[in-house]
Amino acid sequence: MEFAQKFELYACLQCGKCTGGCPVAMRTPLNVRMLMREALIYGVDVLLGRPEIWDCTTCKTCTLRCPRKLEPSEVLIAIRAKLVESGRIPKNVIDALEATYVHGNPWGRARQKRTEWAKGLGVKEVAAGERVELLGFVCCAVAYDPRLQPIAQTFAKVMAISGVDFGIIGIEESCCGNEIRRMGEEGLFEELKDSNKALIEGSGAKEVVALSPHCFNALKNEYRLEGVRAIHYTEILEGLISQGRLPLKGPLAKRVVYHDPCFLGKQNGVYEAPRRVLEAIIGTAPLEFSRSRETSLCCEGGGGRMWVEGTGTGVRNSEIRVKEALEMGAEVVATACPFCLLTLEDALKTTGLEGKLEVKDILELLGEALGVEVDR
Amino acid sequence: MKVVVCLKRVPDVAEVDLQLDPSGRRIRTEGLPYVINDWDNYALEEAIRIKERTGGQVIALTVGKEPDEEVLRRALALGADDAIRIWDPLLEEADPFLIAVVLSQAIKGLAFDLVLTGVQASDDGYAQVGPMMAEMLGIPHVTLVTHLGFEGKKALVRRELEGGLEEEVEVELPALLTIQSGINEPRYVSVLGIKRVAKKEIKVLDLEALGISPSEIRPKIKVEKLFVPPSGEGAEILKGSPEEVSDKVLEILEKGGVI
Repeated sequence: MEFAQKFELYACLQCGKCTGGCPVAMRTPLNVRMLMREALIYGVDVLLGRPEIWDCTTCKTCTLRCPRKLEPSEVLIAIRAKLVESGRIPKNVIDALEATYVHGNPWGRARQKRTEWAKGLGVKEVAAGERVELLGFVCCAVAYDPRLQPIAQTFAKVMAISGVDFGIIGIEESCCGNEIRRMGEEGLFEELKDSNKALIEGSGAKEVVALSPHCFNALKNEYRLEGVRAIHYTEILEGLISQGRLPLKGPLAKRVVYHDPCFLGKQNGVYEAPRRVLEAIIGTAPLEFSRSRETSLCCEGGGGRMWVEGTGTGVRNSEIRVKEALEMGAEVVATACPFCLLTLEDALKTTGLEGKLEVKDILELLGEALGVEVDR
Repeated sequence: MKVVVCLKRVPDVAEVDLQLDPSGRRIRTEGLPYVINDWDNYALEEAIRIKERTGGQVIALTVGKEPDEEVLRRALALGADDAIRIWDPLLEEADPFLIAVVLSQAIKGLAFDLVLTGVQASDDGYAQVGPMMAEMLGIPHVTLVTHLGFEGKKALVRRELEGGLEEEVEVELPALLTIQSGINEPRYVSVLGIKRVAKKEIKVLDLEALGISPSEIRPKIKVEKLFVPPSGEGAEILKGSPEEVSDKVLEILEKGGVI
């Protein structure tokens, strides 16, 4: 089908709500409204040489706000897909895609080391033939990055404390492919999906819980899982807290502001669960950014931007975010996404706010509140 | 121009703890991830670029078993016209000399203008196959090629020397060039691109098909033993928190008069 027809470019009103809501439009040449128009008038091929194609974080704000229900973010991904097929893509993207093809993760880490974070925790592995009720989807960033491994370790310990029959896939788990598809590698995404889907559906688990909203999004909306429900970890925790199954020792005395990850909030409507969990941990409702929930400011970590710097100059969104947090008197920025965690923590360093403000995953705060110790 | 490119599939061992097989003469290869040899990837990209610039044909070759066809599929996906895999059980312990014998025998009949291959392979690192093939084919060769152009029946080639120097040479075609990494930026080959050529024929040649008699299969090199080098002395591994370790490093540097 012709590109313009496939994405209904004829229906675009050029109202500009897409670019108006775009979190990177202020600091990069990316103008998604203009791309829609140019693709219609001149054909998509004229857009292939534009470096700003790699600036998009695929936060999906443009698509969610389009009054004609068009999908500008999918247009962008389709442009990337054309670039991927031509082979002319940034070196960092090539490295991430090839590493995922060969090793099952975009950092080229050894598959054999995928479960090293779980050493000594006695976590069941379904690929080894064990049966579990709740299957954890750990995925690459959390499995390999030493900064993020405590998230998985804490989750496994919390599941043990609450008596949930929990396990993981094992080293056979591959990257969920959420970012891979958004970098335009549709074929590789399909392979990763087929491989993970078979493992998840074959596990006998009723629910699969993702530790990252990016995996959650892929599992929930793109895997078409049969007989298994995909959930984000904050949803499990919310349920356990309401059932009184988490022995919280009393409120953690910290002023915490919550940052909505795009793939959890905007894209999948999970706004309440993380807030309920935080409320249980700190004993009061978390502080709110001026831009939160549907209007949350993207941290710029999605859509492949973990591998591509982007053409933007000036202040990063994550820097805006941590500065605002400090101004409102927060001591901790809490989030529920490993990419948000990394980008916001980087912003602490680049703005010199280290020591004045902390960035934590909700699971790390929960670990503190429960007195769960993990290796760092 | 008709370009022949020789490719090898190698294990990617950057993160793997290598183990020896029971013979003590080889690496255990079970479960290792495989990739195209990095230098060969540049040679392949260069071959495809020559075809895109000047027309003609690209023929890709490898020596190996069926899984090694992965590198040939990659070549076909990029636009190579033909692919040939050479294998025979007698090649199980082939050394660079034997690899050069079988490759050059397969290339002889191809009426080629240019043979490209990587400078060396990342697994055993001999860097011998290219120059030996050139001798067997009776053509000139240039190693460590970092730039390539053409003028009539000549190739204008730059090659890398020590100390950041480069040498410019002219070579009559047909010739063989071993390609240094960095000569170009190899493009990405998508999964769909590889799937599209999944059914394209790959010719498989054994020794008989090549007209090589088993008595000619005499390697010049036989690996006697592989071993992990014994750890030497003088290395000190610092333990502790990042702060403690950095304090110790500072102390050592100060004591040594470095800072």
